[in-house]
Amino acid sequence: MARAAVLERLSRRPPLRWHTATVRDVVVESPRARTLVLDMPEWAGHRAGQHVDVRLTAEDGYQAQRSYSVASAPELDALELTIELVADGEVSPYLVHELRPGDQLELRGPIGGHFTWSVPDGGPLLLLAGGSGLVPLMSMLRHRAARASDVPARLLASVRSPEDRLYGAELETLEPRAGLHIAWTYTRSPPPGWDGWARRVDADMLAELGPGPDERPLIFVCGPTAFVEHVATLLVDAGHDPGAIRAERFGPTGG
Amino acid sequence: MIWRMTPISRGFRGRREPEAETGRLPPGQYLTRDFPVLSAGPTPRTPLDEWSLTVHGAVDEARSWTWEEFLALPMETFTVDIHCVTKWSKLDTSWTGVSVDVLLEGAGPGGDYVEAWCDGGYTTNLPLEDVTDGKAWVVHEFGGEPLEPEHGGPARLLVPHLYFWKSAKWLRGLTITLDDEPGFWESVGYHNYGDPWREQRYWSD
Amino acid sequence: MTELYTDGNDAAGLLAEFMAADPTTTRRRCQSCHAENPLAAHRAYRGAGVVLRCPACGDVAVVIGDCEGELVIEWRGAYRTRRPPQ
Repeated sequence: MARAAVLERLSRRPPLRWHTATVRDVVVESPRARTLVLDMPEWAGHRAGQHVDVRLTAEDGYQAQRSYSVASAPELDALELTIELVADGEVSPYLVHELRPGDQLELRGPIGGHFTWSVPDGGPLLLLAGGSGLVPLMSMLRHRAARASDVPARLLASVRSPEDRLYGAELETLEPRAGLHIAWTYTRSPPPGWDGWARRVDADMLAELGPGPDERPLIFVCGPTAFVEHVATLLVDAGHDPGAIRAERFGPTGG
Repeated sequence: MIWRMTPISRGFRGRREPEAETGRLPPGQYLTRDFPVLSAGPTPRTPLDEWSLTVHGAVDEARSWTWEEFLALPMETFTVDIHCVTKWSKLDTSWTGVSVDVLLEGAGPGGDYVEAWCDGGYTTNLPLEDVTDGKAWVVHEFGGEPLEPEHGGPARLLVPHLYFWKSAKWLRGLTITLDDEPGFWESVGYHNYGDPWREQRYWSD
Repeated sequence: MTELYTDGNDAAGLLAEFMAADPTTTRRRCQSCHAENPLAAHRAYRGAGVVLRCPACGDVAVVIGDCEGELVIEWRGAYRTRRPPQ
């Protein structure tokens, strides 16, 4: 019967349960950010752009939970999360400063099918990152590289200063491959001798960056809520189809 | 509740302050020194010349105050502890406001319940006896400073003996009612009364 | 005629299909302004629980009671999700 078939297929879908992940390594990305390289036997894979929920439990049972975007490509054998220190945060100081290889975290996911991109989705891709909003977009670019895809892609990453840059060296090695263009803008202090953009994202910057609306890019914007609202408004004002813009808002903090 | 198999996060404490004040924290609460901002929606920004506070409903005489009239009411400054259902508590918070008893003076309330209603559409419900006899205020200052919009300014209800979702932000009126109507959070799983000392957080409590 | 209805058990398969769908891609048509947007684009506010609001008009879309041991959800508007090919 139709109903039994539906219920049977649903029962085969992995439930969204908490699993224990073990820290394999903690990598310094910047003075305020670390990448946690995690092993989780039950991890079923993810699509670039998705996130996980992380839960910490103190000795007395107190729990705190936060969401973090998966930084790694789906093709990687480990799961990587990049955590940036949130001013006066409750969880990020622990993950950035305290966590060591061998420690365990509880993880749930992957979560979220809307803010995802896979090579078969095509392009051209326009990726706009505010601060740590670069993390899920990096997963997309790593996936693109792992598939040796030449879907045209442009990344604009807005950070305050050079020490806030994530994945700087890796992006430099990725860029020469076909069809990828990386641009940075510094909103507080650019590096010495910098002749690129040194201001908040604005209409002129987006026009110079491209692609224009006529190319019908798939657009992903991620970062603090204020950054996302500002950039999304600029994109719509520039004529981009609002339906082509996918956003992920990180809340008031950061970048 | 944590299960036997829940891994403990070595060295994690969270943002909690050490609990030096035993007896002042209701069960399940943690002490905090900051003031978390929680909200069901965006911060309303009603200009003061458009603001009013109303007491109406099952009353003999409805009344309403403009901002100037409100400020001219007898104000008290007092210190209380506050307890949020999301488990943070803040001790010794100082507020300035008018007692709800003053607002109800002469109104002749004819019902046993109150619905507090607010800019932005938030509501919460309380028994009338929980906002009278010195148990509740409409406050406009926190720590001697004008109440910030994100914390409910220009004025909010303050009912410290109940969980803080009952202390409705951006208060615009109190409706006296004959029947008890669940408010915003009370309609989606949160306890109808909300006594932190009996840990009445949810419907199941 | 009492034979015109069955009960929630009979509707369970349909309900389970809806609940199994990825919430971020599920689309909601607002009961107030009729705009249609994916839940991922709705604005989430944290109070005692969580409130999702229509990105077009700000009206309440979903209210979630994040009650330990229990979830309570009020859905407002019409929700739309693709059914997987049978």
